[in-house]
Amino acid sequence: MIQKKICMVGVFGTGKTSLVQQFVHSMFSEKYHSTVGVKIDRKEVDLSGTKVNLLLWDLAGRDEFEDIPTSYLRGSAGIFYVVDGTRRETFDQIADLRDLVNGAIGDVPSLVALNKKDLTDQWRLGKGDHNTLVEAGLHTIGTSAKTGEGVEEAFIWLANATVKSE
Amino acid sequence: MPEEGQSQEFSDLRELLLGQEKERLAELERRLDELELSPEELADYLPEAVALRAARDKQLARSLAPTLEDAFSESVERNPRLIAHTIFPIIGPAIRKSIAETMAGLVETLNHAIESSLSWQGLKWRVEALRTGVPYAQVVIKHALVYRVEQVFLIHRETGLLLANAAAADLDTQDADLISGMMTAIRDFVQDSFGSAADGDGGLRTFSVGERTVLVEQGPRALLAVVVSGQHPPSLVERIQATLETIHLRFSSALTEFEGDAAPFEPSQPLLEELLETVLATDRPGTRSAAPRVAWVVILALVVLVAALWIRSALRWNRAITALENEPGVVLVETERGLMRSHLEGLVDPLATDPGLLLDSMNVDTSRVEVRWQSYLSLDPEMVAARARQVWDAPTSVNFRLVHDTLIASGTATFDWMHGLTSSAALPGVSHIDISGVAPTLPPELATHKQRIEDQKVLFEIGSAALPPAALDLISDIAGSFGEMLDIGRVRGYDMSLEVIGRSDTTGTSEVNQLLSLQRANVVRGSLAARGIPSEMIATVGIGTSDPIRSADPDNRSALNRSVSFSVSVTYPGGGGNQ
Repeated sequence: MIQKKICMVGVFGTGKTSLVQQFVHSMFSEKYHSTVGVKIDRKEVDLSGTKVNLLLWDLAGRDEFEDIPTSYLRGSAGIFYVVDGTRRETFDQIADLRDLVNGAIGDVPSLVALNKKDLTDQWRLGKGDHNTLVEAGLHTIGTSAKTGEGVEEAFIWLANATVKSE
Repeated sequence: MPEEGQSQEFSDLRELLLGQEKERLAELERRLDELELSPEELADYLPEAVALRAARDKQLARSLAPTLEDAFSESVERNPRLIAHTIFPIIGPAIRKSIAETMAGLVETLNHAIESSLSWQGLKWRVEALRTGVPYAQVVIKHALVYRVEQVFLIHRETGLLLANAAAADLDTQDADLISGMMTAIRDFVQDSFGSAADGDGGLRTFSVGERTVLVEQGPRALLAVVVSGQHPPSLVERIQATLETIHLRFSSALTEFEGDAAPFEPSQPLLEELLETVLATDRPGTRSAAPRVAWVVILALVVLVAALWIRSALRWNRAITALENEPGVVLVETERGLMRSHLEGLVDPLATDPGLLLDSMNVDTSRVEVRWQSYLSLDPEMVAARARQVWDAPTSVNFRLVHDTLIASGTATFDWMHGLTSSAALPGVSHIDISGVAPTLPPELATHKQRIEDQKVLFEIGSAALPPAALDLISDIAGSFGEMLDIGRVRGYDMSLEVIGRSDTTGTSEVNQLLSLQRANVVRGSLAARGIPSEMIATVGIGTSDPIRSADPDNRSALNRSVSFSVSVTYPGGGGNQ
């Protein structure tokens, strides 16, 4: 079976953990986030017959003053960015986060999940924002940890991207 | 001049027309002359030529190899330090790592041996061994040496992805990939936190969770994490390293090209499974218990030795104390035996045996004994007797014995000493003196002279009372001896008298013989008086043939009896003695 290391990156409170909790296999508790700064979970996806085992390194959501420990990024086959669609600043920080990641490990297949899609009335992102990401070469998928919308799709897209990039 | 000018013009023209070609011709000529490459040209072409040839085949490397080898060995011979310095950055860390591993293994072995033999735990195990009757070695193994390699993870170093794993049959290995990732994350975390990333092969090598230890060995591209329960031997680490090296060797390209597909690493499974083992008490010989056993034997021997020395010293001390207590004239007031110093206090009669000498003779180390003696007069019978002997200046021929308060003397002593004794002052502890058992004797010097005189005889011719000239020396001798006796007697209170006894042989009538014998005695007395002996101290008697000197030979008998013999009588007026 093929395994891929995926890092989940996003600022604090974007719902990374909720995404993971609902749809992946976990064996470590939440406290790893506050102690070690990372928690590892597994997501199995089926790419038309080929099973891919994604090992999700769920990096603790840092605030804007703290950097992600880059040693955790090493060896990642893909990056799963998470943005909270109801908080614009989480979108604005993607560019910085991407620079940080690219600086550490180079350009790897990446995806931006625009999370909390179910909260349409509080949505703060427009069509232009979507284009900005596309122009930057980032695939985006709207997700909702609550309804499960887009989650499976997002993981499958990223798994595909990492396998194809070989 | 005009010819010269013409020639100049022609030369200029030739220069104009053929200038460049001329230079090229000269160059060609030069090359033809040399035909070989100049070093300058070779320097220009060499790098390119080498690159071209190296790209084509390996012939260049093959041809250069012997020269390079020679050059290398030449360089080493000429200046080994240069090569050593150049390759040091490569071999230094390798050697260092190897030494560190060896030392760590050694230290662990030593620690274990010491801990299991002398610690509280070691004692507990010993008690258990005594209680259950199981040999100590087996108890140690049961507690300390049973270990089990439960799980082995082969982890890709960069991604933390699991390449292969092996586990004991009864273990759930479902989440091995997650554990592998988390282990890598924790290693990264520790490395980041303590900044050991800088020194290349640092990082988390071991961590313990309760009874379990996770040993992590790191290679350039992969890690081996091994979960062990119980106490593993240091050799396990070496085996893990060896396995990791084998994996790097065999899966070198698979490790380099790893993109997430663990399938190429399936053949490594048997290597990992080889590391899995469960070691039971019965699997291992009790070799490790040898060191503790030796240690115990040594300790026991030391304890026995110290105890033996202590007991010997105590026995000696007690014997010495008993001897001192029994010693007349010594009274022990305080005795205290210490570990390093002992203390003795008591009373000693000046006439008693020196307690220090006594302790010495009992093998007690007197330099470690603090003593305080005070003098006193002992009334112990032996001490009283000794004091009597000292005070009265008793001759060795006298013995003393104290019965109650009566000092009984026995043996022999001179009249004058006995007389002095009866008039002496009393001694402490003595009320009466009993000297009835002492036989009085003459002072030896008087006895000697007396004997000497009485041994002499002055011999006369037949029928003559004239002193033979030969007898004069003898008479002088007797006068000298008697004079000395008088001198001694005067000092020590003895009175002396000398009896001169004349004899005759049996020829002739008894009246004549009687007279002749008296005459002979008188002649000798006269001669003695002439030599300074007062005549009133000399008595003469002529006994004729009435008490002859006996002899077996008849001729000799006659000669012996034509003589004068002597008898000295000594009296002690103070004590009434007479000899």
